[in-house]
Amino acid sequence: MVEPASVALKFAFLAILYLFLLWVARSALKDLRRETVVAGPSATPRSPVPPPDATGLHSAAQGVGMGGDSPRLVITSVPGHQPGAAYDLTGDCTLGRGDVEIHLEDPFASGRHARLTRQGSVIVLEDLGSTNGTYLNEEPVQGPQPLHPGDRIRIGDSIFTFEDS
Amino acid sequence: MSARNRELLALIPASLLVTVGFAAVFIQEDDLISDASLTYGGVFLGLCFVAHLIIRFTLPDADPYLFPLVALLACFGLVMIYRIDETLAREQAQWFVIGLIVFAATILLLRRDYRVLERYRYTIALLGIVLLLLPRVPGIGAQVNGAYLGIDLGPIAFQPAELAKICIIVFLASYLRDTRQMLVQGARRFAGITFPPLKHLGPLLVVWGAAMVLLVFIRDLGSSLMFFGAFLAILYVATDRASFVVIGFSMFAFGAWFFASTVGHVADRIDAWQHPFDDELYDQVGGSYQIAQSLFAQADGGVAGAGFGQALIETPGGGPILPAAQTDLIYALITNELGLAGACGVLVVYLLITERGMRIAMLAQDSFSTLLAAGLSAVFALQVFVIVGGVVKLIPLTGVTLPFISYGGSSIVANFLLVALLLLISDRARREAVGG
Repeated sequence: MVEPASVALKFAFLAILYLFLLWVARSALKDLRRETVVAGPSATPRSPVPPPDATGLHSAAQGVGMGGDSPRLVITSVPGHQPGAAYDLTGDCTLGRGDVEIHLEDPFASGRHARLTRQGSVIVLEDLGSTNGTYLNEEPVQGPQPLHPGDRIRIGDSIFTFEDS
Repeated sequence: MSARNRELLALIPASLLVTVGFAAVFIQEDDLISDASLTYGGVFLGLCFVAHLIIRFTLPDADPYLFPLVALLACFGLVMIYRIDETLAREQAQWFVIGLIVFAATILLLRRDYRVLERYRYTIALLGIVLLLLPRVPGIGAQVNGAYLGIDLGPIAFQPAELAKICIIVFLASYLRDTRQMLVQGARRFAGITFPPLKHLGPLLVVWGAAMVLLVFIRDLGSSLMFFGAFLAILYVATDRASFVVIGFSMFAFGAWFFASTVGHVADRIDAWQHPFDDELYDQVGGSYQIAQSLFAQADGGVAGAGFGQALIETPGGGPILPAAQTDLIYALITNELGLAGACGVLVVYLLITERGMRIAMLAQDSFSTLLAAGLSAVFALQVFVIVGGVVKLIPLTGVTLPFISYGGSSIVANFLLVALLLLISDRARREAVGG
């Protein structure tokens, strides 16, 4: 009487184990699929509310429609960030390795490295006495420099492109 | 369904497995069906529920599947160890509770920002190295089968390598976060392979040297492979250069070959691994007896296994048939009793845990978190590879534990610490991913 019970329990154990694993694996796959959909630019839902934070990082694809009226700093190549993402420049902000608005994980960046300020309708880039310098179109920045659409800003290995429309 | 509710739901199958497993063992041992197994299942569910509540209140966005998967492994361990020896299982259950306390303490302490760990990276690295070398300190070090893995402090015996692996990963993640840029710059291509500049191979050489010292000092190929492999994994994630991995593994293979042919103990292990059924080696002390018996036990299991409590681990006279069944060879015992099906199930659990870990690494926003999550998952996966690979005779057998299943306090505590860190990273990453 005991023998069949033991065999039944063994198979019950295996059945529960596999059903559980199947469930977890399925949700893992679902997660992956959902991610591909979000990553595709065509399927990205446009956020109905503009981001409350002036420098919140969000996908460039998301900002195409509504961000037309504000200047943006597009990530060309920044360690740890997705190229193509952009920062909206609605207020003044600082770039650097410390606790600043645009945080860079770049060993060549200083704590407070450079600053972008709005003066009337132009955005001005200024180096804050960084150790390794800020480069505007590969020229070292000395003093405040107004930015034009398409300008490349380089800090260490981080490269941004300024866009304004 | 929210992440936490899904986690709660997923704990139910794990507790059911404890109930079923214990019931099967009871039937086998006492020839009676008792409701005590329901008590065990209930207690197990209760413990997991407490841990779940802690996660629910402190890390509401953390990965929902990681903890249930771990609970499932722990349940496997408890059932199997109970089947071997009742007192061992009671001790294991106590360790499980202590593990959960450490788990909760880690989460509560580091809940605000686990990145404070970065500030103490050199202290943590030193701690890791001291822990690794402790087994060689005369008086407290204990040599088991020629390898120096455990220390013995009277009532407490533990394997410091288990805790050391977490220390080393934390250090490597924070160190490589800062230096990875340097490692990539100035690389040149030759014959289709990108070689890093020679002067930046320094850190790689230092860690390789450390792995080799480890191999000589604690005389354990498995843990050495585990540490070095995890280092290469983090390095690959940090620099995206496959050449580091190729160069690193060639260096490791060369070093391992060199020591295998010069250091006696390592050479013995290699011999036992290659010829487990050789008469002479089989009878030798520390010879191929373990691995040969492990292979017999697994072959005996077949596809569906012999059933709970059916495997022979002791001769009627009391001599062991399957040595170290509760620690090193527990995987062989699982294969024997639950067959290929059960063993594959266990491996899939480990696979899924590693998958969750790598996903956490992908979701993480800052590079320290990415590297830490990738490193922890890698070291976890490699540990499973080293011990399961050893038991099935893919690589030489070493004395590493099977995470969450093997009997052993330090292993359970250290791995709970590891999972707590992964959950902390996951909580922050998922919150940031959702919150924008």
